[in-house]
Amino acid sequence: MKISDIAFAAAIAGGLLLSAAPLAAHHSFAAEWDSTRCREFTGTLTKIDWQNPHPYFYVDVKDTDGKVETWSFQAYSPVTLRRNGTDRRVFLDNIGKDVWVRGCLSRNHSLNAAAAGTLKFSDGVMRQVGQLQD
Amino acid sequence: MTRQLLATVTLLGALFFPAGAQGQAPKYEITVLPPGGPAPRLPDGHPDFTGHWFPNGAGQGVSGRFGVDPAATRTFDPKVTPEERPSFQPWAAAKIKAMTPTELELSKSSVNCLPRGVPAIWLQNPYTTMIVHKPGLMAQLYEVLNNWRIIHLDGRPLPKDPEPFFHGNSAARWDGDTLVVDSIGFDDRTYIQPNGWFHSDALHVTERYSRPSMNYLMVQVTVDDPKVLEKPWKSAPHRWTLGNGELYEFYCTNNKELEQLEKLRQQELQGK
Repeated sequence: MKISDIAFAAAIAGGLLLSAAPLAAHHSFAAEWDSTRCREFTGTLTKIDWQNPHPYFYVDVKDTDGKVETWSFQAYSPVTLRRNGTDRRVFLDNIGKDVWVRGCLSRNHSLNAAAAGTLKFSDGVMRQVGQLQD
Repeated sequence: MTRQLLATVTLLGALFFPAGAQGQAPKYEITVLPPGGPAPRLPDGHPDFTGHWFPNGAGQGVSGRFGVDPAATRTFDPKVTPEERPSFQPWAAAKIKAMTPTELELSKSSVNCLPRGVPAIWLQNPYTTMIVHKPGLMAQLYEVLNNWRIIHLDGRPLPKDPEPFFHGNSAARWDGDTLVVDSIGFDDRTYIQPNGWFHSDALHVTERYSRPSMNYLMVQVTVDDPKVLEKPWKSAPHRWTLGNGELYEFYCTNNKELEQLEKLRQQELQGK
């Protein structure tokens, strides 16, 4: 475990929670995404579609049988991501590299579609890129 | 969690919260912006509302960031200035209650990419607003959806037969250092708040703007809608704070949420 992970854990343990309330208030996460079906994904970042109202990034995820599937992840708005330090350039610089995502699946059971909550690029820094979920 | 990690977490926690460990308030990285000095004034003596205003207490983005004082995430503290509940007429309450969660979500401007309109732009909006204020005119540049609104301060009256606009038709007057803006004639697709609170063609919105100090913009809204409400509703005073940085482009060009929610709605209708 890297220092950034530990700092994140310490932040949570100490009550230094991420601030999601303003966004949660105007969007209902639960209306579109299933907070009972959240999981971690690891794979290779392949693409970032940086548009409003939400960017989508794409990850090639390998399952336990070695089969690769492409997943799409919805994130905060570009404005919010810029202001919290995860801008378009950060995504572009990590295309082709390993990425870890925690996200929740869609309630309408669309295939390979999830909303991202937290994300780590290969630098190991924990980033909040979507609404808190579970 | 390993013992070593637990010890590290405890240590880092103590480093982040040296005061908290002693029973005092934790130290946050992002806190409430102080009031600053006196508000600037225009040549005509009225307060100048010009600035890049953030819908929180911090004067900067707070969503998805570490170490934000909860007091800095909001525009008012409901414990200090509680906001009353709207008094809906029975038919209006029944109409709102009949909406499914998906229908409610689809009605939200944050989901369907329609302008929030007035007064929702001041009540439920996580994005910034830039105000350019001159004698005789106030321009409000809303970051969300690249919307804008011009409020004339030349004493012109409200129109007798207003065309319905998302931001309404406005007339403004000064009440001391408070700018009072009355608006009528709203597009019927706007919602007062994203909880199903719709409006009628009788909607009359009154906004009261003041700048008690350099860093604070206060906006208080009164909603009078005699066809929907039992009595006018008054918001708490919402405090926006002065920030820096860019007002970003925000054209809604790739709205996949709408498509996802429509699919979910169809599934609901089919009883899946």
